[in-house]
Amino acid sequence: MESLLLLIPLSVLLVLAIIGVFWWALYNGQYDNVEREGERILKND
Amino acid sequence: MLARMSNSTTVTGSDLAAGSVVPDQGLGSLLGQHRGPLTVDDDFLVLDDPIEQEDFCHPVQVDGRELQEAVLMVQGMYCPACSETVEAALGGRRGVESVRVHAATRRVTLRWDPAQTLLSALARNVGQSGYRLLPMRQALSVEERLAETRLLMWRLFVAGFCTMQVMMYSWPFYITEPGEIPYVYDQLLRWANWMLSVPVVLFSSMPFFQSAWRDLRHGRIGMDMPVSIGILVTFIASTGSTFDPTGVWGHEIWFDSLTMFVFFLLGGRYLVSRLRDRTAGALDVLMNRLPEQCERQLADGSFETVSLKRLRVGDVLRVQAGIAFPGDATVLGDSATVDEALLTGESQPVTRLRGQTVVAGSYNLAGTALVRIERLGRETRFAQIVALMEQASTEKPELVKLADRIAGPFLVAVLLSAAFGAWYWWQIDPALAVPIAVAVLVATCPCALALSTPSAMLASAGALAERGILVRRLLAFESLCKIDTVVFDKTGTLTQDRVVLREALVRPGLTAEQALELAWPLASASLHPVSRAIAAQARPAASAAAPDATTATSAAPDAAPQSAPDLVQDVPGAGLVLERAGGGVYKLGSAALCGLDQDQLLAQGLSVADAPCAYLSDEQGWLATFVMDEGVRADAAAAVADLRAMGLQVHLLSGDKVGAVQRVAQQLGITQVVSEASPERKLEVVAALQAQGAQIAMVGDGMNDGPVLARAQVSFALGHGAPLTQSQSDLVVQSGRLSELVQTIGQARRTMRILKQNLVFSASYNGSMVPLAIAGFVPPWLAGLGMALSSFVVIGNALRLSRLPDFPAPDPALLPVAAFTR
Repeated sequence: MESLLLLIPLSVLLVLAIIGVFWWALYNGQYDNVEREGERILKND
Repeated sequence: MLARMSNSTTVTGSDLAAGSVVPDQGLGSLLGQHRGPLTVDDDFLVLDDPIEQEDFCHPVQVDGRELQEAVLMVQGMYCPACSETVEAALGGRRGVESVRVHAATRRVTLRWDPAQTLLSALARNVGQSGYRLLPMRQALSVEERLAETRLLMWRLFVAGFCTMQVMMYSWPFYITEPGEIPYVYDQLLRWANWMLSVPVVLFSSMPFFQSAWRDLRHGRIGMDMPVSIGILVTFIASTGSTFDPTGVWGHEIWFDSLTMFVFFLLGGRYLVSRLRDRTAGALDVLMNRLPEQCERQLADGSFETVSLKRLRVGDVLRVQAGIAFPGDATVLGDSATVDEALLTGESQPVTRLRGQTVVAGSYNLAGTALVRIERLGRETRFAQIVALMEQASTEKPELVKLADRIAGPFLVAVLLSAAFGAWYWWQIDPALAVPIAVAVLVATCPCALALSTPSAMLASAGALAERGILVRRLLAFESLCKIDTVVFDKTGTLTQDRVVLREALVRPGLTAEQALELAWPLASASLHPVSRAIAAQARPAASAAAPDATTATSAAPDAAPQSAPDLVQDVPGAGLVLERAGGGVYKLGSAALCGLDQDQLLAQGLSVADAPCAYLSDEQGWLATFVMDEGVRADAAAAVADLRAMGLQVHLLSGDKVGAVQRVAQQLGITQVVSEASPERKLEVVAALQAQGAQIAMVGDGMNDGPVLARAQVSFALGHGAPLTQSQSDLVVQSGRLSELVQTIGQARRTMRILKQNLVFSASYNGSMVPLAIAGFVPPWLAGLGMALSSFVVIGNALRLSRLPDFPAPDPALLPVAAFTR
């Protein structure tokens, strides 16, 4: 049970870290056009 | 500073042109003072640049004064309450003539006097109230929209991810009895919950707080007020019980409900904004099809790339395939293949030959086209279409105005009922008071109600615009459903505005086809309407006969039109004379030109008296008589029958002669006919019908029927003859196809049906949620989900209108006719 005292704060930090990673992905344009990959097979090049 | 500038500075035209009115330090200090929730750091002066203004403003004359009118996008506007704020920020300002704000499309139509105020000053007023005015072009640009979508997605993700984790931490509380978890772990879980709720409240919920605060500062209660109060109350109560479990806030925490509720609301808002982009998308695609830049030919024949704004009339451009023409232009190359779906609603390649005109906004389909610009910007029909759509989309239907009026009192009632719920439950079980009050606040928010009308009408107008049917007044949908009578004008509406060949009377031994073959070289050399009608019929015959010339009779030994040295002479006002290189003279035209006696022909039955005729003769005399007729539109009969099938009365009202009107009426099976009607008489007839209780849709060509069109409940203008800005009709069917009239009425009926569904759904949703929430059956997270879902259902339902059902593809058999009439 004592491990929870470490694990719960760690999980909070992990969540914040993941949110940070998503921020990076979002502002690098990864979600700007989610249809693009699907449409790519229809294109010639 | 701001007030002084917009109220007392008198600006002259030359100042404005120089752009020197607003001192720089003034701008800087203003921006420093700005406290709106949005960061407004625009260079407002751009708004006053005359070259930039050409893009989004146009001058209008009102009572002899020169005013400017512009349609601008308002960033940060979400609901009807916001639109009131913007209206308040602009309305009543010195120099502002009129303001119309439309929440659903986030647009404002603004009319101001450039002599009294500057657009930049107005934009600053709006900026101070927390919104941002953008020119349409800029507002629609990718970056603006991208930034907005990204921020919304970012907020949504934070809320969603925190919600999931908060739920994990809350789970132990669900499965244990109070006091079962050791105190240390209990506190640890509460703190973890709190930690992850803070970003949700402080970051993800910001849009709700911003908009609620904006309303509060203007002394009003907006749609986001109950939501904001709900979020704050839950958060403060839960925070209190987290850090002081024995204190006044009790022991309960609602972080799971809180975060989930914010997540659902944001999710709903995200989806709604995506759907709205699609709804407005059809209009945006129409408006933004001109290229940003184009290739202009220099004096030495090479090409330079210039921005659209730098183009001048007379410039020669090279337009690549797939690009839209930037202005109305003349084709300089041999030919150009273009897609004029903009005008006709029908994506079909049309060939334009050297010297013919291509219209702005139509696409070049094949190869590179060389064109000379004839008209640019506001002069083009494309600009007229765009202006018209922008006007219509900022118009407020009566239903929306009503919704705006009742929104304020309704929200007050929501707050009161939430307070009542909290007070009532406090006496029974204090732990339930907070969640119930929050549920009431959220469940009753009339978001769906506010969205139901504009979303349906805009989706429908967008769908029709794609087909080349322009809706000038959104209100027309409402009146269009009520009509029981359709009154047609004849000329240009049921009939084409040109003649067609009715029949050919020919010399014995000759067939009509052979006569037409003989007439083709003559007729094709002239642009006279009669010649064109003959040429249109003759061309297929000539080309079909060419490969098998051996079977041709001696009367037409070398009928194929490619015998080049033939000489065609145009005798003005009489007809054409052809001197064939191999000998022989053919004449096409009036009886006098052909050396014929018309009375004698009439007596022999070789001509008719009640229709215009053209004669063909050779050295031996009379060869053929071509009897012309007004062409009834190919789809007129079917359209009239369809209208009848829809339960509508069909009337024909024409200023033309009795005989001509009767002939058309008989062909189409119309029995209620008034002919030889002057404009005043037409008005009387329509007024008399209305006095009997008829709801009338008038169909005209938009040019000659102004008063009647205005008098009727709804009016259609057919074809693209009349300048859009002058026509008085509510709807414009650009293709001139009558079948689309039928489809438009059908679409209007669908629109009203879906609109009513939306209203009934959202009203009954709100109505049923209030008692349930007060009775304690709805937890806050469910209320949040319900609110998001109801908005989503309403928009989704409206989106069904963005596709026209069973809109038939044009009948292939009619295409040659259609191609010619264009």
